[in-house]
Amino acid sequence: MTPVVRVTGLSATAGEAVLVDGVSFEVVAGEVTALVGASGSGKTTSALALLGEHADGVQLGGYVEVDGQLVVASNGVTAAAQSIRGRVVAYMPQHPGSALNPARRIGTTLQELAKLHDGDAREAVRAAQVPGDRSTLKRFPYQFSGGQRQRVALAQTLTCRPKVLVLDEPSTGLDSITRLQLVHELRDLAATGLGILLLSHDLDLVRALASRVVVLDAGQVIATDVLPPAPDLKVTGTSAAGQPLLTAMNLSASLRPRGRDVVLHEADLAVRAGACLGVVGRSGSGKTTLARCLAGLHERYTGTILLDDEPLPVLRKRTRDQHRRVQYVWQEVRGSFDERRPVDQQVARTAQRLRGLAPDKAHAEAVATLARLGVAAITAARPPSRLSGGELQRAALARAVLANPDVLICDEITTALDDHGTALVLDLLTELKDRGTALIWIGHDLRLVAAVADRVLVLDAGRVVEQGPPATITTEPHHELTRRLVAATRIGNPQSPPAETPPVLTTDSRSEPRR
Amino acid sequence: MRSYAAQRAGLAIVQLAVLSVLVFVLTSLLPGDAADLRFTETLTPSQVAALRAELGLDQPPVERFVHWLGNVLTGDLGTSLISGGPVVDIVRHSIGATLVLTLATLAIVVPLAVALGIVMGTRENGRVDRAITSITLALSAIPDFVIAVVLVAVFSLKLGWLPATWIGGNLLSSPALLILPIAVLFGRTVCLLSRQVRAGTVAALNAEYVTQARRLGIPRRQLLLRHVLPNAAVPGVQELARTGDTLLGGVLVVEAIFAIPGFATALVDGVETRDIPTVQGLTLVLAVAALLINLGADLVCNRLVPRTALLR
Repeated sequence: MTPVVRVTGLSATAGEAVLVDGVSFEVVAGEVTALVGASGSGKTTSALALLGEHADGVQLGGYVEVDGQLVVASNGVTAAAQSIRGRVVAYMPQHPGSALNPARRIGTTLQELAKLHDGDAREAVRAAQVPGDRSTLKRFPYQFSGGQRQRVALAQTLTCRPKVLVLDEPSTGLDSITRLQLVHELRDLAATGLGILLLSHDLDLVRALASRVVVLDAGQVIATDVLPPAPDLKVTGTSAAGQPLLTAMNLSASLRPRGRDVVLHEADLAVRAGACLGVVGRSGSGKTTLARCLAGLHERYTGTILLDDEPLPVLRKRTRDQHRRVQYVWQEVRGSFDERRPVDQQVARTAQRLRGLAPDKAHAEAVATLARLGVAAITAARPPSRLSGGELQRAALARAVLANPDVLICDEITTALDDHGTALVLDLLTELKDRGTALIWIGHDLRLVAAVADRVLVLDAGRVVEQGPPATITTEPHHELTRRLVAATRIGNPQSPPAETPPVLTTDSRSEPRR
Repeated sequence: MRSYAAQRAGLAIVQLAVLSVLVFVLTSLLPGDAADLRFTETLTPSQVAALRAELGLDQPPVERFVHWLGNVLTGDLGTSLISGGPVVDIVRHSIGATLVLTLATLAIVVPLAVALGIVMGTRENGRVDRAITSITLALSAIPDFVIAVVLVAVFSLKLGWLPATWIGGNLLSSPALLILPIAVLFGRTVCLLSRQVRAGTVAALNAEYVTQARRLGIPRRQLLLRHVLPNAAVPGVQELARTGDTLLGGVLVVEAIFAIPGFATALVDGVETRDIPTVQGLTLVLAVAALLINLGADLVCNRLVPRTALLR
């Protein structure tokens, strides 16, 4: 079968720095090719070269041929690049929902693209599972939920009738059930003859879909058709005995005043020093609200939260020592960094403010912690905008760890991390646990949670539906949701049935940062 | 969309109510009233009291307000204490010149500012952007009266090309009267507007949705006009509303220098002579105009880039 995309010896250089060095791969119609690698390994740079796109100051070289047309030659992007954009290669960015123009009705853009590329908006809308009636097409992007916006963005790309579809980290932030659905949909798309280039660090997704795999590291191909082994997630030891350090009793939380829109119902939990409590559930099950209550950020709750048998007030009423003792790391961290100051200084600041460390000592500790998490000192000395999502997420963890907390709440902190980064994070957290820190680990990946936690709590629609040691939860799940979460960890298995869930359109399935 | 318009209009009505109270209260707070200012030297205290009664000034404030508001709603802004004629006439006479000046200025400034803004925004930090930025900023930094005096000295006194004042002039017979005032107002308005359009263009060009549209093969011209411009125009429209407010309020310096019988002049005259009905009437007209302009601007912006709701 002849490939639609042929990339040979692709290079990308910015001045002295070499971002991509001699990368070669092919994309074949009807098959999925995966570009795998850590964040910063050159996946996106390589994929955008298919469109002849590059960042300012970056020079592309090598040879990229798409559908018989030369897009990149040894002296850079050719004039043919403009003509293949959309029409031959369509790109879905990592957060496709924000790629919709807020000022345009979705139908207007779909028609515009259809006219431009001789496509069929109606057919694309159907393939992307967006309702194609007139009133839906007249709506503006803000009138759709996050999950729906993704589908509208997909409809846009399909309207161009491309021969190659590039998907950049399509599973970021999806819960495991929705992710399984994604696998089936992408298989169906490939079956229509579309060549798919999948960029991902989600190795399970890659295993489930890709027939060709190209592994990138630091801009070079280090392996083809062989997947790196999954990191060794050893099951951690038994929990330490003793009094609970953090206890929540009868915790209910609502989104609006006076108990309207309740999102968490009478949850009880306790975590001891040196233990780890895992919290799992689908998006919207109340995991983040629970974390925010404990962190003192969500103030509309009833019930009791005790730290060392003393009531723990909301964040703005906490003492400096209480601030230090309970730290919270959440999923969307970019907004929590000052964009003008270097990241390492901001990480060091916690140790200065909450532990009274001298600036130089705090800085040294920040750099050391960041290095342990795989963020080099030279990278951390840059402002946040120059760090990747994964690097920033680890910096946020380092920032919390520098407070030397007694309770550390981690809310989906590995979503932007590849397996190597995840392993580094788990290593640090294990050490913290051994030093007596209590961990609350929130995640949707039951397998990872089971590996980290001594006790797992399953949330569904704001209620605790199951609680117990991870081994029991995974082997003898009682609740229907737990059974489905367990089943969804096996997406690599081709016999896995399609997820029996309502279509994504009815719910907002993507985890969105809360205001 | 419709709900936004309804909410916004509702807000405007509330604003209008608050505004009418404010106008009335603030003008009542001016020290003295027309009766004691004008007639103390010629009338006895009992005659002043009689006059107050006749003018209704002895009534309690709430009753005066209700009476005033009732008249306003029927289009009667009251009677000037100085000229004895209806305030509506004063509004009618003074608003013409201001309106013509405002509209003429905007007609020249808006297209130019939008064009400059887009040119600057698409060439962010380039040579052209810097040149236009420097020139417009410099123009806006010179005080109105300096520009005015220089322009009058050169074009009216030295060269004799353009009339220096509106005294004895008529707009219909000599539109040239407008040129110098517009030239004075031009610099700052062009600068403020074009900077907002530039900022909007830069933001839209860097937005992910424009990058994505480019990746889907939409050609540059189409991209600028259909994808960038509606988003880029929003801050420009808001700035335009502010500019409109300022110009309508009458730019006092300009009216004073060119002896334009406009709104600001009428307002200052009213304050000086303690002609409270006139001041109230003019202020109210001005405030309502500002309110409507901003209502219009918000609705236009919501049409350009719709929002869910005004209040959450």
